[in-house]
Amino acid sequence: MAERYSSFTPGGTGWLLQRITAAFLVVVLAFHFFQLHFITHAADVTFAGTQARMEHVGYFLTMVLFLVTATFHGINGVYNALVNQGLDGIQKKVVLAVLTIAGLALIAQGTYVALVMAGWA
Amino acid sequence: MSTQQQEPDTDAETEPEEPESQEVPADQEMSGLASPQQQRLQRKHDGMAEREREAAEDDLEGDSVHIKVFRYDPEVEGKQEPRFDDFHVPFERGMTVLDAVIYARDEFDSSLTFRHSCRQAICGSDAFFVNGRQRLGCKTQISELDQPVRIEPLPHQEVVKDLVVDMDHFYDQMHAVEPYFQDEDTPDSADLEEQRQSPENREKIKMSSRCIWCGACMSSCNIAAGDNEYLGPAAINKAYKFAMDDRESEEIKEHRLRIVEQEHGVWRCQTQFSCTEVCPKDIPLTEHIQELKREAVKKNLKFW
Amino acid sequence: MSQSYNRGLIEDFGRWKEFSAGMWAWIFHKFTGWMLIGYLFTHIAVLSSAIAAADGQTIMLEGEAVNAYTGTIQGLESLFIIRVLEVGLLAVAVFHILNGLRLLMVDLGIGLEAQDKSFYASLILTGVITVASVPTFMQGVGL
Ligand code: HEM
Ligand code: SF4
Ligand code: FES
Repeated sequence: MAERYSSFTPGGTGWLLQRITAAFLVVVLAFHFFQLHFITHAADVTFAGTQARMEHVGYFLTMVLFLVTATFHGINGVYNALVNQGLDGIQKKVVLAVLTIAGLALIAQGTYVALVMAGWA
Repeated sequence: MSTQQQEPDTDAETEPEEPESQEVPADQEMSGLASPQQQRLQRKHDGMAEREREAAEDDLEGDSVHIKVFRYDPEVEGKQEPRFDDFHVPFERGMTVLDAVIYARDEFDSSLTFRHSCRQAICGSDAFFVNGRQRLGCKTQISELDQPVRIEPLPHQEVVKDLVVDMDHFYDQMHAVEPYFQDEDTPDSADLEEQRQSPENREKIKMSSRCIWCGACMSSCNIAAGDNEYLGPAAINKAYKFAMDDRESEEIKEHRLRIVEQEHGVWRCQTQFSCTEVCPKDIPLTEHIQELKREAVKKNLKFW
Repeated sequence: MSQSYNRGLIEDFGRWKEFSAGMWAWIFHKFTGWMLIGYLFTHIAVLSSAIAAADGQTIMLEGEAVNAYTGTIQGLESLFIIRVLEVGLLAVAVFHILNGLRLLMVDLGIGLEAQDKSFYASLILTGVITVASVPTFMQGVGL
């Protein structure tokens, strides 16, 4: 145990990013819920309405950033939870790879969808 | 089982006994009125008054206490299957859980095995799992517990025999943080001086220095239970004690931070506060772990 | 030593009644976090119907042909069970946000003595906000 540490910071960066994304998410997630359930009701969402929102560059960027931070935060959170349960060795590497791929795929798909909504793809 | 209805769990949660005879500053001004020390003394004082009143109200004197003790011994035919034994121990004012098991051993079953030594919450050998919580046997009043009092070995450690658990892993983790004072430039022996510590710095690390290596915190932590490599609260607190000590140089502090910022160090703490709640020496473990997380982050930001 | 006995997870879930505030907060935060990331995947999947809509595809909604996106979303929103799930999602998100703020404070070393109270406050507030939002979420849906 004593000698099994490395000289860089495994975990420290992830920990900090988890908190920074959380602080950002508080604001956007609350905004998102408000906008789509209280301002526009979810049942009244139409393609035209969505397109009108997404065409604003500011809104588009906010939504993509929302997607990226939420994905990082969620995937990193799940990974951490598994490490806490004692996941290690090969299994740990495999889980990390699978989660990373799933996260990247989610971001790619989500960004593409947003581009389509904005009419830019 | 005796069915007397005494004192149902009034304050299982309030501070248990605090044998704090050392280092009471005579000079009240030294640390300001609301210093942690004074708050502790105040709580201790209040708690004592409270307990005395309660003791006077419902004296168990003359009654017997029902304890259920976990038994297991791989070397004895009839004890390989873990079980609970019941003992009825005559109550005496001020009786602790440790007193009760000592009585049971001396009077009823001499094979009942547990560790103990100082009987005054300083050797750290008698942490048990009492009524579902890690407590120090010698620091837990029987009168504050619901009966029957269930006494088990610490969870998440292998049971060697009865209430005795294997502490090796816990000690390994303690040693992993290099729990000794280190200084590259010890003054030349010619001009050996005392290495003085400022009163403020002493106050900062005071609580962390109280650890008695009982292992209660580690046993209560469900992250430590899942991740065997996790340093655990006691070891991190030990690292805190040295890292925050101004007498060690910056490089050594950095070295210490590198130990606790490994993947299975501070980041595993999920701030569940279970360690802080069970620590018999009232060490604010979670607070110390959190401070080390921030220190580690700060140090790394400096390097970027 | 020759042999020892491993009691395994003896205290863990069988003893949930003895868990303290901090432990419950951890369990709930974990649960809500997993729900949220699970939902995020579902959410993007549903929104992907925008790709078909942009392509000009339509689907039938209450006897009318509408574009695939509007049709998918309004079709889902007309289901009672979806509305119930949405209220559940709101509760989950609100708790995760409030307890997340609590955790951020704990990380900054603020108010550690009140960590149990702030957990109870998060729970109560979550309940209040959820109940108060039910009318809005249930608007215009039949059983
Ligand atoms: C809106 C504001 C949010 C805040 C303030 C927040 C806060 C936090 C914090 C502080 C943690 C870290 C717990 C720890 O490591 O000790 C965490 C964990 C987590 N969060 Fe969030 N979060 C938010 C939104 C989200 C969203 C949108 C998702 C889903 C995409 C999410 C999914 C998760 C997951 C899966 C975990 C790990 C839970 C575990 O330990 O198993 N969170 N959150
Ligand atoms: S920190 Fe407290 S509970 Fe943990 S070993 Fe030290 S004295 Fe025991
Ligand atoms: S017997 Fe020494 S701490 Fe209890």
